[in-house]
Amino acid sequence: MTAVAAAPAAARRRARRPRITLGGAAVTVAGLFLAVTWLIPLLWALSTSFKPEAETTAVPINWLPLEPTFEAYRSVLARGDLLRWTLNSTVVSVLVTALTLAVCTLAAYGFSRTRFPGDRWVFGVLLAGIMVPPQVLIVPLFDQMTAIGLVDTYWGVALPQVAAPVMLFILKRFFDGIPRDYVEAARVDGAGHLRVLWSVMLPMSAPVLAAVGIYTFVQSWNNFLWPFVATTDPALMTVPVGLGTVQSSYGILYAQNMAAALLGALPLIIVFMLFQRQVVRGVTDAGLK
Amino acid sequence: MHDTTGPPRRPGPYPLSRRTLLAGSLAAAGLGLAGCGSVADAASGRRALRQWNLFTGGDGARMVEMHDLYRREHPEIELRPTTYLWGIPYYTKFLMGAAGGRACDIATIHLSRLRGLGIDRLIDPVPTDLLAEYGVTEQTVLPNIWNNCLVDGRLYAIPLDTHLIVTYYNRTICEQAGVLDSDGRLIETTGTEDFTEMLRAVRDVTGQVGVSLDTYGAWNLFWSLYRQAGGDMSFDGGQVTMDDDRALEVLDFLRRLAEEGLAPTDSNGPATAANFTNEVAGLCIQGNWEVATFETAGLDFGMRPLQGIFGEPLTRGDSHAFVLPHRRTPDDAAVRAAVEYAAWMLQHSITWAGGGHVPAYLPVTEDPAYLDLRPQSDYRDAVRDAQFDPDAWFSGSAAPLQNDAASIFSGVFSGATTPEQALARFRQAAQQLVDTPSPV
Amino acid sequence: MTTHAGVTPAAAVPPAAGAARDRSPNRRRTSWAGLWFVLPFAALYALFLLWPMVSGLLTGFTDRSLGRDATSFVGLDNWAELVADPAVWSSLWNTLVFTALSTPPLVAIGLGMALLTDRARRVGWFLRFSFFAPFLIPVAVVALVWEWMYQPGFGLVNSGLTALGLAEVGWLSDADMVLLSVVITTVWWTVGFNYLLYLAALQGIPAHVYEAAALDGAGPWRRLVSITLPLLGRTTALVVMLQLVASLKIFDQVYLMTDGTGGPDYAARPIIQYIFESGFPSMRIGYASAVSYMFFAVIVIVSIAQFRLFVRKEESR
Repeated sequence: MTAVAAAPAAARRRARRPRITLGGAAVTVAGLFLAVTWLIPLLWALSTSFKPEAETTAVPINWLPLEPTFEAYRSVLARGDLLRWTLNSTVVSVLVTALTLAVCTLAAYGFSRTRFPGDRWVFGVLLAGIMVPPQVLIVPLFDQMTAIGLVDTYWGVALPQVAAPVMLFILKRFFDGIPRDYVEAARVDGAGHLRVLWSVMLPMSAPVLAAVGIYTFVQSWNNFLWPFVATTDPALMTVPVGLGTVQSSYGILYAQNMAAALLGALPLIIVFMLFQRQVVRGVTDAGLK
Repeated sequence: MHDTTGPPRRPGPYPLSRRTLLAGSLAAAGLGLAGCGSVADAASGRRALRQWNLFTGGDGARMVEMHDLYRREHPEIELRPTTYLWGIPYYTKFLMGAAGGRACDIATIHLSRLRGLGIDRLIDPVPTDLLAEYGVTEQTVLPNIWNNCLVDGRLYAIPLDTHLIVTYYNRTICEQAGVLDSDGRLIETTGTEDFTEMLRAVRDVTGQVGVSLDTYGAWNLFWSLYRQAGGDMSFDGGQVTMDDDRALEVLDFLRRLAEEGLAPTDSNGPATAANFTNEVAGLCIQGNWEVATFETAGLDFGMRPLQGIFGEPLTRGDSHAFVLPHRRTPDDAAVRAAVEYAAWMLQHSITWAGGGHVPAYLPVTEDPAYLDLRPQSDYRDAVRDAQFDPDAWFSGSAAPLQNDAASIFSGVFSGATTPEQALARFRQAAQQLVDTPSPV
Repeated sequence: MTTHAGVTPAAAVPPAAGAARDRSPNRRRTSWAGLWFVLPFAALYALFLLWPMVSGLLTGFTDRSLGRDATSFVGLDNWAELVADPAVWSSLWNTLVFTALSTPPLVAIGLGMALLTDRARRVGWFLRFSFFAPFLIPVAVVALVWEWMYQPGFGLVNSGLTALGLAEVGWLSDADMVLLSVVITTVWWTVGFNYLLYLAALQGIPAHVYEAAALDGAGPWRRLVSITLPLLGRTTALVVMLQLVASLKIFDQVYLMTDGTGGPDYAARPIIQYIFESGFPSMRIGYASAVSYMFFAVIVIVSIAQFRLFVRKEESR
């Protein structure tokens, strides 16, 4: 989590640390208070998930389970569909991320380092796509998907998420910034475009590629509307869609709902823990600051 | 779903049957990503049967019970039921899944919705010979229900039950109110005065209201009483044709009930059931599906068909039915399994009847086990006169007309809207639906 | 992240190395080789963006339906209908109200959180985690948790109100409250992204700026108002802009929290949900396409207005 602190900030921290003032303490307390408040919904969900079903609707409420039990988790895992949806989310997100990186990198290189007739015009058309929110296209896109038979397939869920003009733009701008000399040197050595891309551009672009990859992954993992439209077979649903649509035959069971919700949130929280440095720095690298 | 948690399996070391070959080539064509349709389990030798439904609560539990038995009797079939949220979310998934053409093998719907769901485009016809092979024919279903399953003479739905608006009565309270006969049944009433007189007696015992009603879902009661009064409704020729005087009579009656404190002014579905179990009311007019709730609550109660308040004791009915969603690629074996499943469910609907629904399959309704099921079998004959919703693509359970009506009529109970205003708004809403180009 | 899908680059700053960009016209020879690099992206773009855009425009002039095969041309009927359809305008209004209600707290709270984190360094890791974690949670989880919190009787929020001696609020059942409830949930869920942008910007402010001010005797409040906030101006513009774009596209949390109904009396139904309803449950692909295009026009107008506002602000700086 300390990744955000860049070098100047670190220096600033050293300079400030010795002074513990009243104001500083107040800020710390205020920060802690807000942070705990912000966690209440999740803590409450966590507490609920360990309650027996009958205890969940007790009035007045119990902050902590009186008789903690893993029953809700056991039931959710035994039903198995959450595991299935996690697998689907993984397949779809990996597919989307890999394809987005491949396709956007190639195109970004094409626009940044080569010229072909009409390239500016094509780039303009592709970039204009940023103005088109995918939400606006769901109805015609679904119609088109039924026509070509991609509804209720992984491809149908994944492919429309791949050609992201924003990612193309970010990568192209980064490639533009790589000094020409590096590329020229490689070209003189007789390297082709693919070779230059692979052994010169990509290694230099590792941080921005990581940022684009992580953001694409997170976005695709949490995407709701399109996967919701494109899948009706529960065996193909992603985590958000499955959790949001499929019901228990027994009506609403809050402890199980909360257990499923927390399990459904877990993978990305873990990804965040692993890649927090890149996630946070990605904001800077993607030129978003 | 225990067998589906892996990626689509490749054909295993089984002898190459046509199905495994097909599965293999399809998997290859989709790069193993074609999803797990009915082919996914070909390798395990079990046919997957994907069923969609909108049942939760008591109905859901009963369906699970029936499915457990079905699975024991059909080891060769892997039944995969999915429940979606009742109402618009369910029908949304149904329509989109059927449009995609590979979502599920069999689905439940309300029969009142059949004509609005895309006959032939989204719903395939039921092969009657196949259905007869499994023992379900025109002769085994009441004629009025069977006819509702036909569109242009072809069968598109397999009816599971008929559910009705009924009157529940709390024996303890009604006894004290002096409205039980010597057999412990609610006394017969005819006409509005008779009925309100009874409500007053009951109200005097509970001290709160006489009858518990769903004021946010009043279409059911309105349609029952409007039909009793002899009202008709049609949407032919781009016009809303209805009997304003009779509609006003019914709406004014509902207003008076609430105003006089005989019925609640503000009560949604769960509250309506709770008001009866908590003895806030001694009577309850609601769908028969609440029987399970009241049995669980341990109440001493009876059920009877809705009284004739404006005339003949007619009552609104609707049926849960099975349909075959359209498939993109024909699969005769899957259709056979689906039809067999539906027939099996009909024939075992004695379990289903426990939830208050009257089985559509006549042999079950004649079974002594059903006749002994009380109070569930006490209103079975009302099915013969069940009043289905008016015929239009926007009409039926959870369809726009019903949603609009429910929202408008709730104001009549709360006093926010006069019956005249409610009628005018209903007409306006209905006219807007009529003016909307039909999607089917 | 879904509400932020579409990081608008108009606001993005070229990276430092951008200066090295070679602008000489003959830096590359024109050849068809480059086209091959661009082709995969262009093909997917054409298939899943251009095609639905063109077909959506055409479909908007037909009575195309999910429920039947035959489709016929109906001219401007759909457009005439949508102009007179109160549901179009009320749901568009809901979207705008949502945007107006959610943007200020999303900006202000994000900024406040970043300032607190920047100052309270000892507990920084904990603040960063709890402020940012909700943003990573799938919307279905957010909806499940908050529907549970908003329950009458045994819900956490109403229990708290009752404990304080206040009356219960029908968060999701009261037509006057439901949109506000969605705003509260959305702020909790997505403020983490704005927080992150602000935090990155704050930590990019060089320490010597503060030190100089401290030497001049400026107190902490003074330093905040006259140094920090002005330096964050760019970030605020970016945050507001991203926020507007994301808010206009609201659908997920409303749909899930109201069980697909849009709330009592459709009081929270946003325009995207009306498009969804027209196209899928009502099966009217043609009409829904026309409404989509109308909304698309609104988005384009808002984007252009925003862009011009932003550019003017930049120039006057």
